[in-house]
Amino acid sequence: MTLKANSRRSMLLRTCTALVAVAGLTAGVARAADTVSLNETGSSLLYPLFNIWVPAFAKSNPDIKVNTTSTGSGAGISQAISGVVQIGASDAYMSDAQMKQAATIVNIPLAISAQSINYNLPGFNNVHLKLSGPVLAGIYSGKITNWDDAAIAQLNPGKKLPDHVIIPVHRTDGSGDTFIFSQYLSFSTPDWSNGPGYGTTISWPAVQGGLGANGNPGMVSAAQQNPYSIAYIGVSFHAQIAKAGLGTAMLENKSGKFVLPTPATISAAADALVSKTPADERISLVYAPGAMAYPIINYEYAIVNTKQPDAATAKAVQTLLTWALTKGNEAQYLSQVNFKALPPAIVSLSKTQIAKIGS
Amino acid sequence: MKIRPFRLTMSVLAIMIPTALMAVIILLALYSFDAIRFNGLAFLFGQHWDLGNLYMDPVKTRGLMVPHGATYGVLVFIVGTLLSSGIAILIAVPVSIGCAIFIAEAVPARFRPYFSMLVELVAVVPSVLIGLWGISVLVPLIAHVIAPGMSAVLGFIPFFSTAGGGGSGLGLLAASLVLALMITPIIATTLLDSLQQVPREIKESAFALGATHFEVVRGAMMPMVRNTLIGGIVLGLGRALGETMAVLMVSGGAINYLPHTIFTPISTIASFIVTQLDSAEQDPTGMAVKSLAEIALVLFIITLIVNGLARLLARRFNNVRSA
Repeated sequence: MTLKANSRRSMLLRTCTALVAVAGLTAGVARAADTVSLNETGSSLLYPLFNIWVPAFAKSNPDIKVNTTSTGSGAGISQAISGVVQIGASDAYMSDAQMKQAATIVNIPLAISAQSINYNLPGFNNVHLKLSGPVLAGIYSGKITNWDDAAIAQLNPGKKLPDHVIIPVHRTDGSGDTFIFSQYLSFSTPDWSNGPGYGTTISWPAVQGGLGANGNPGMVSAAQQNPYSIAYIGVSFHAQIAKAGLGTAMLENKSGKFVLPTPATISAAADALVSKTPADERISLVYAPGAMAYPIINYEYAIVNTKQPDAATAKAVQTLLTWALTKGNEAQYLSQVNFKALPPAIVSLSKTQIAKIGS
Repeated sequence: MKIRPFRLTMSVLAIMIPTALMAVIILLALYSFDAIRFNGLAFLFGQHWDLGNLYMDPVKTRGLMVPHGATYGVLVFIVGTLLSSGIAILIAVPVSIGCAIFIAEAVPARFRPYFSMLVELVAVVPSVLIGLWGISVLVPLIAHVIAPGMSAVLGFIPFFSTAGGGGSGLGLLAASLVLALMITPIIATTLLDSLQQVPREIKESAFALGATHFEVVRGAMMPMVRNTLIGGIVLGLGRALGETMAVLMVSGGAINYLPHTIFTPISTIASFIVTQLDSAEQDPTGMAVKSLAEIALVLFIITLIVNGLARLLARRFNNVRSA
């Protein structure tokens, strides 16, 4: 009897608790009427940075809630155009044809990323081999098949490279890394430009022994597991590259100098193209001029529609992007993913574009 | 007229599944219509897949706007899909039959539930886990042990030689083994269920006639479960043909060339669609996504054909038995 009464009372208690909880939730929603929810999707390279940014941003802007998802640059662009998300993240700027179809879209650089060329060459992984665009194009098109090829030897005098087949590794999924790597090959090598060209995926020439890998983690593990391989990997994976013990190449830039991806060479390349960056900021930073310039860097873009559904959303997007360009460009955030801050002139161009966002 | 709520609800629910299926097919066909028109038959026999230059202005080809230099040929992916699933079935069927017979006949009755539970457990492992196992355990094993070994023993057959490259472990063999692991429990559990339902009288009569245990299994039990076996194979094949993630992780992502040995990288239709979709979305003419929809249609038709063939096979056996 007492047991039954007890259980009934506990039931009542539970119902009450549930009711209170529901009421609390409803109140929360009612209060949330003033807060604005923003959605971000796209580039998997920018995704880690957004996840570093958002908690810090939320501290100073509690009324703006940002949801981040990692899909891919293509999805970032298309969903920003369709209005599913307010901010699309992309490693590649939109093409002229895409801009014609979506005239109200702006491409706003948020940070600068770079890419390293890495190899797993037994005995040489702690040596920085010198490689050039035409040599890499030769390797990735199957014209240069062995590490002791004359073209590689010519760039690396005094180094006895092994007579072993090169395994070029490329990304199978659509990727900003493929975009900037194939741009480097296209801009430096006419044959590549007329052949596979550039894009977030390209039609890779069939190379005997060549491999496709999925995502940057896949690139690192494919290179690690396959001696004599070569791969292109986003600079935010620097720690994993070092852990895998891969070698990093010095790349030939437009001035014929060989440079490593360092903060100085990445900044040099970005600075070289500041004056060339147009008002809509759609420009490739690959193969920049200058003796110090590292040849494979790019802007990471926010793709944003200047026609937002309402004024509050537009204001929130402006607040978030402005924060990203100022506070968010500080080294405490960017250094966690090895990105570099935008030059001041580019920040002001980006701010002009942010000002266009309305409803 | 009397309204029958139960009957009505059930009818609606029953109609929903075929309707959804038809809607998917019709929408896919409609969506890929432009691509079918642009690609023609070259789609099925072309080995070259190129989205074209998405940063140049699109050009008008065969009356349709497409990116400059775009060609869509999917033979590489069709071959990759059929070969990997085919080899997986070749490996999985004997293993599953052995496994099912072992559990049904050799394992003591009180341990049987545990054994069959173990097999079922493999069937519910998420494919991405199997892919992870594939890339971290299986692929290095193939690269360092299996491939050199097979090449040394069977290398005189060009298809099993690593002489032409392919020593990375990623490729057709890895994809097939991963698929085999995923479909073996499917085939084994369906077979096991029906082996356990073979009437005792039949087994006992066979024993009474002086048949050995092996003869009972082969002569009396297997013919009774042949249809289930075929059903299990169809189920397994369906899973293998459509498997995406695990295959993507170990297949080596081939593009523009056909596999010439069992160690060469491949791509399957399902995994190719996943890897290409994001870049295809950047195509301002939309032809790339439409062509991906066309590949999806091809995969669907392949699955239908495989299913149809299996049903035909099952009917054939039935006729033979009743004749």
